[in-house]
Amino acid sequence: MRIFENTNYDFVGKRTGYYLASAAIIIIGFIILFTTKSIPLGIDFSGGTEIQLQFEKDIDISELRTAMDEAGFAGMEIKTMGTERDVLLRTPMQGEGLLVAERIEDGIKQKISDNKFEVMRTDKVGPKIGEELRRNALFAIIFSLIAILIYMAFRFQFIFAVAAVIALFHDVMVTIACIAIANFIFPGLRLEFNQSMLAAFLTLVGFSSNDTVVTFDRIRENIKLFKNENTVSVMNKSINDTLSRTVITSGIVFLTVLVLFIFGGEVNRSFAFTFGIGIIVGTYSSIWIASAIVTEWKLKEVKSLKKKSAGIRTAGIKKA
Amino acid sequence: MKKNLSRIVVTIALIVLSVYFLYPTFQDYNLSKELSKLTGQDSIDFVDKNSEKLNDARDKRLKLGLDLKGGMYVVMDVDIVKLLEDMSDKKDDMLVSVLAEVKEASKDNDEIILETFKTKLSEKGLNLKTYYGEVRDTEADVEARLNSEIDNALDRAVEIVRNRVDQYGVAEPQIQKIGNSRIIVELPGVSNPEEVRKLLEGTALLEFKLIYDPQAVVRVMESINKIMTGDTSSVSDTTVSLNNNDSLSSGNESITKTDTSNINSAANKDSLKDTKSVTDLKSAGKDSVTKKDNSSKKEADTVNNTDTAVTESDTAADETDTSEAQLSEEEFREKYPFFTMVSLNQESGMADGYVKESDKDKIDRLLKREDIKTVIPSDMQFAWSKKTFESEGEKIYVLYAVKKDAELTGKVVVDARANIDPTSNTPVVTMEMDSEGASDWSRITGANINKRIAIVLDNVVYSAPVVRSKISGGSSQIEGMADVPEAKLLEIVLKAGALPAPVKIIEERSIGPSLGEDSIRSGILSSIAALILVALFMVFYYRLGGAVADVAVIINMLFIFGIMASLKATLTLPGIAGLILTIGMSVDTNVLIFERIREEISLGKPMKTAIELGYKKAFSAIIDSHITGLITGIILYQFGTGPIQGFALTLIFGLLANLFTGIVITHYIIEMFIEKGKKVSFG
Repeated sequence: MRIFENTNYDFVGKRTGYYLASAAIIIIGFIILFTTKSIPLGIDFSGGTEIQLQFEKDIDISELRTAMDEAGFAGMEIKTMGTERDVLLRTPMQGEGLLVAERIEDGIKQKISDNKFEVMRTDKVGPKIGEELRRNALFAIIFSLIAILIYMAFRFQFIFAVAAVIALFHDVMVTIACIAIANFIFPGLRLEFNQSMLAAFLTLVGFSSNDTVVTFDRIRENIKLFKNENTVSVMNKSINDTLSRTVITSGIVFLTVLVLFIFGGEVNRSFAFTFGIGIIVGTYSSIWIASAIVTEWKLKEVKSLKKKSAGIRTAGIKKA
Repeated sequence: MKKNLSRIVVTIALIVLSVYFLYPTFQDYNLSKELSKLTGQDSIDFVDKNSEKLNDARDKRLKLGLDLKGGMYVVMDVDIVKLLEDMSDKKDDMLVSVLAEVKEASKDNDEIILETFKTKLSEKGLNLKTYYGEVRDTEADVEARLNSEIDNALDRAVEIVRNRVDQYGVAEPQIQKIGNSRIIVELPGVSNPEEVRKLLEGTALLEFKLIYDPQAVVRVMESINKIMTGDTSSVSDTTVSLNNNDSLSSGNESITKTDTSNINSAANKDSLKDTKSVTDLKSAGKDSVTKKDNSSKKEADTVNNTDTAVTESDTAADETDTSEAQLSEEEFREKYPFFTMVSLNQESGMADGYVKESDKDKIDRLLKREDIKTVIPSDMQFAWSKKTFESEGEKIYVLYAVKKDAELTGKVVVDARANIDPTSNTPVVTMEMDSEGASDWSRITGANINKRIAIVLDNVVYSAPVVRSKISGGSSQIEGMADVPEAKLLEIVLKAGALPAPVKIIEERSIGPSLGEDSIRSGILSSIAALILVALFMVFYYRLGGAVADVAVIINMLFIFGIMASLKATLTLPGIAGLILTIGMSVDTNVLIFERIREEISLGKPMKTAIELGYKKAFSAIIDSHITGLITGIILYQFGTGPIQGFALTLIFGLLANLFTGIVITHYIIEMFIEKGKKVSFG
């Protein structure tokens, strides 16, 4: 069985529409992100106390909220996790030791006496650490992008390297936008920016750069093979050549992540969702961002070359 | 074919090596499974019987991080501001208020505290020299000195924390300095935050404790032995005589005398060396404590050369000795279970017990037993040595018996410094005490000449030097350290008394193991399901090629886990993310190659040529994508922290393994099929 064999789709002919689509998603996503703060920072990155409880019986959230309001935690975030018995409480409040957690426990015990509970997890984070970790992660990612830029400039041409890095940047932005939108439309997803989401971003950057490199590799090969053909057709040919590989690889990895998303449980969900979006976006960007930018550049190059050569020709006509 | 042979050898060798490194993981899993079936005494017996195997497997298994195994992650802040306040020569209101501002400011930014301090001081028209300098110092000198003091304070805090965590007995703790005022402690498998807080917070306690009278210690050990053998008849006897400790030592005057004279003669023999160091110090106005460290057998031997053996006809030590000669090893084990685990060096005249690392836990449990506690005098306490030495491939700890009540606490220590003694060219540590401490110290050392005083930090003995003379004036010199790092460690420990830098827990997370297990289980189950789907698809789509690719992915994972286990790396959730990326790229490598081969086949090339060309043409894409990934991994590992490093580590190993399996192994297997004339199909 073969799929996408000897295809001849025009991928890079109409590029502008895809630029606009990407830009639109990024803009909409970031507007939602900044107006509704729809990607909550996980306890990894913001200060606060998070406490997860498991009750014996189903618990009424509004009852719990009333109890917490009276215990001095007004407007606290209270969410069920999976079942009606598992509850996640979160407050930006912090205290020495586990003081906040103890106060929460006491507050519940006072008001809800008929439903016993067990504390499954308590997390307390100082905001300073969050900042340090975030800054470290950011620097690490920026440095690795620079390294990718240098290596690819060395192995391909400089424009390929620039295009690849722009594509990676695009992938991260679009994925953030998609998460913001998904959280906005389906608040139940509760995707927060925590360590596993950070891991997912690293993974998607790795996956996307792999995909881009493979596509570029074919372009590099075909540019040498088909020197006389025009840029757009060489680009299209290369992408078509790698299309079946792209679809199979991305498809396989996407399916794996989909299984993890559906059956992997709450903890794995934010990883699976982020990486899943990343696979789609990363595959898309190899073609419509990375390859498209290279096409754009090559076309300009050809144009300016033509202009230059035109200039030379007119200069050559003049005879003394 | 020759090329193929070397490929086979390398491949098989690597697989065997991976299996070898992963075997302890498998063994650990089996042992813990067996252990979980047992309860009560049975499980204790099982641990005792298999302790070596268990420890070995636990040490060498593939380690799971806190996120996968559960436990505690603690970030501690060392109070540098407090340290700066303590170090100042003149503490005026201005300094206090500036430091309060520094403390406030340091809460919201990550600036180096000393820098903030400098800025705040200069705002007030002051500088560091105002508070810390002497007349001749330049500002830069003062700053350098403060910086090194801050560094030392951090080292000290790390040492204190490590000491406490080690005592707590957590397997695979990770303790590291981070930034300029923090320590990260990771304790996998620990679930009681109260206990951890109690363990890690609070000021370190440095004490000077007298080593217990050796004769009495031997008697106590003998009584413990009797309880262990079940010979209760004479236990009460011993208890009585031990409870009446004072009369015992005065009653056995001869022993005490022999003891003293022996050590005196030892001291006399040592006098040459002794006078040397004393003269040196006297020129500097110092007296000396000369350390006779007994924590290594080598040193114990030198002690033997000088100290003639304490001969006591009626002590257990001798009895043990004669018995040892007559009894077979098994009989000895049966009759002297305690002395089988705790061996004494009778000739040294000291009652320090030498205990193998594998027996340490057993001794700890034994000493906590109620019936055993009854024979230990109320003023006696056992403490382990910090230093260990190797004997027959195992670490040996020293079990000291010390007086429970400290003679002096570390608060009186003003300063400590590790140096090289210029005359003997050996490392020494000098210690200064304040005036109050000095007068106590003079009295204590005067009354205990030729006895040993243990330097104890949080119940661990760092050193037990012999008092050579009465030390008045507050300056002491401790010698006998094996090397400079050991002297440096003692300096750190002594300073823990001098400049206690309080540590405070600023972040702690407990990961409930049950929660972890749940998500790990569903994560693993769904990943396995997904992998099986992928494997089936590959076989369906690429036929033989797909099957080979599946084998390659399995070998690849074996390699990754093997490398991780051999390097004692820890697998974490982000690490698994790296693994997923690696598997994705591993599949991609094969897909790239097979697609190329298909292209060549559709161009009408014969199978063998198509395969060669397929591998050749796919190579540039594979190598470029892998090197890009490797560069990313290395940089993330270098600059990232915690989770990012975990990701980077599996990615690096994974990509390396991938290059080998994807390019070498699959190629070889497919070639082998071709050579054997089998029909090869790529779908």
